[in-house]
Amino acid sequence: MKKKLMAGLLVTAMTAVMAAGCGSGSSESGGEDGYTIGISQFAEHGSLDNCREGFLAGLEAEGIVEGENLTVDYQNAASDMGTTGQISDSFVSSGVDLICAIATPSAQSAYNAAMDTDIPVVYTAVTDTEAAELTDADGMPVGNVTGTSDKLPIEEQLKMMREILPDAKTLGIMYTTSEANSVSAIEEYEALAGDYGFELVTTGISTTADVALAADDLLSKVDCITNLTDNTVVASLPTILEKANEQKVPVFGSEIEQVKIGCLAAEGIDYIALGEQTGKMAAQILKGEKEASEMASEVITEPGFYVNTKVAENLGITIPEALISSAVENFDEITAE
Amino acid sequence: MNFFITILEQGLIYGILALGVYITYKILDFPDLTVDGSFPLGAAVTAALITRGMDPYLTLPIAFLAGVLAGICTGLIHVKGKVRDLLSGIIMMTALWSINLYIAGTSNVPLFSQETIFKNDRIEGLIPKALSPYTTLILIFLLTIVCKVILDLYLKTKSGFLLRAVGDNAVLVTSLAKDQGNVKILGLAIANGLVSLAGCVFAQEERVFEISSGTGAIVIGLASVIIGTSLFRKVTLLKATSAVLIGSVIYKACVAIALRSFEPQAMKLITAVLFLIILLISMERKKKVKADA
Repeated sequence: MKKKLMAGLLVTAMTAVMAAGCGSGSSESGGEDGYTIGISQFAEHGSLDNCREGFLAGLEAEGIVEGENLTVDYQNAASDMGTTGQISDSFVSSGVDLICAIATPSAQSAYNAAMDTDIPVVYTAVTDTEAAELTDADGMPVGNVTGTSDKLPIEEQLKMMREILPDAKTLGIMYTTSEANSVSAIEEYEALAGDYGFELVTTGISTTADVALAADDLLSKVDCITNLTDNTVVASLPTILEKANEQKVPVFGSEIEQVKIGCLAAEGIDYIALGEQTGKMAAQILKGEKEASEMASEVITEPGFYVNTKVAENLGITIPEALISSAVENFDEITAE
Repeated sequence: MNFFITILEQGLIYGILALGVYITYKILDFPDLTVDGSFPLGAAVTAALITRGMDPYLTLPIAFLAGVLAGICTGLIHVKGKVRDLLSGIIMMTALWSINLYIAGTSNVPLFSQETIFKNDRIEGLIPKALSPYTTLILIFLLTIVCKVILDLYLKTKSGFLLRAVGDNAVLVTSLAKDQGNVKILGLAIANGLVSLAGCVFAQEERVFEISSGTGAIVIGLASVIIGTSLFRKVTLLKATSAVLIGSVIYKACVAIALRSFEPQAMKLITAVLFLIILLISMERKKKVKADA
């Protein structure tokens, strides 16, 4: 009897939700009664969360405030491609005014779903927009889709590492072979490392489980390590840092959060700022000032220098005064995550 | 309406995968983890061929064959190499990760500017204007039904009977003077062919090959098979293959509902709770069957 009741309840609940799903499809939205946007984020991840936070702050700066004249439908695919597709389709079918897609797979999926509609897609945290076929070779959109790239300032990073470690010869990078962002960053490092006198050693992993082994292997071969914005590697950064500290090998980061938890320094991206920049672009589109299809994809204008003096002290490295004073933020302690 | 269309599209694509998992898991009683590799294998082959200008429709049989090869490898490792079933699947799944990267060239290949089976001039001429928003669904539906019918017909042939016998009663196969090892390899080949075909269709529907698209594919397949077969256990008119397809659609419906109605963090939890409830309901059916008898 109980189970029958449960079955009945479930059926009712499912029908109700489906009906609600359908109903929202007809909801009209626009300038006067507020905007509705869908945010499709690929995974739970510190940097991507920062992008989302920044995006909403960017909209707010332009007078589009969540809860007042903005309704946000936030969905997270938990790293599953099938779910990403479902999220994009559900945004399109409920007729949102704009889709904000965070990370490459979400951006591609949202663009694909919205291609035959007039719903604009604004992406962020896509490293190589051209390889992802979201822009052409000149950085102009291929359709009603634009946004910001989190392309790393690789040249600046190499220069900074050379300044801090004048004698280092080999530079190690660990990356996930499945992450297109990392692969294209590696290519750029390979092209530029020689100019700064570094010999590049890379090691590719496929899952989090490989990190510890790969770190041991890499640490035995290199004088220093730098990180990309590789999701899998960054998620396992504490493992790498612990092993590197034992062997006194400095690890450079690629963004502020990594320096906070124990990387020596980074010429990096502030994902909140990147999100804000994206949010401002989205605001222009929502207000009808510009079409997404005519807005070039943007990169963050000035990378910031972040340094952790506590880490430098532990490693016995002296960082040039001039560099320290140029830092956007200087951490004197290591924050455990 | 669109809400249901999405569920049907996704559910039917993964339904082809579920048909493959049905063969290994239900018929052969073989927990085949190759699926996590053969699904993106189909997608990788498709992306590699389409970007080189191949007719998108030709990628369907080629992706199927690529999956067949993967299945044969798993079968050979298990039967000839005498490696345990679970482990043979794991070995192939692991190897396929790199093979897929080699085939596709990189971990993410967009197909936005390419023709796909869903988007090209021929299909636009073929489908009446009124039905054009449903092109994708119609094609997926037809493809899935063709797969299901062929599989049903095959299972009725002599070879199909042998396949079913290997899982149920291996001794019978041996007593018929047939090598049950070869039958297993054949089953794995067909199963992974179907899974790879699902990957091919998925890549063209999503218009992108992504290496991580196979992660967890086996879980989706198994859940679909178990939901389908246990929900419709009592409905004798419905073939198991149809039940599996419906199971896959139900799986995607559960995910869609979980996505729609709750906090993003709770998505997987809600999906899990929905499964559990569905399985508990079908358990009650089983008991009732016993009581009636």
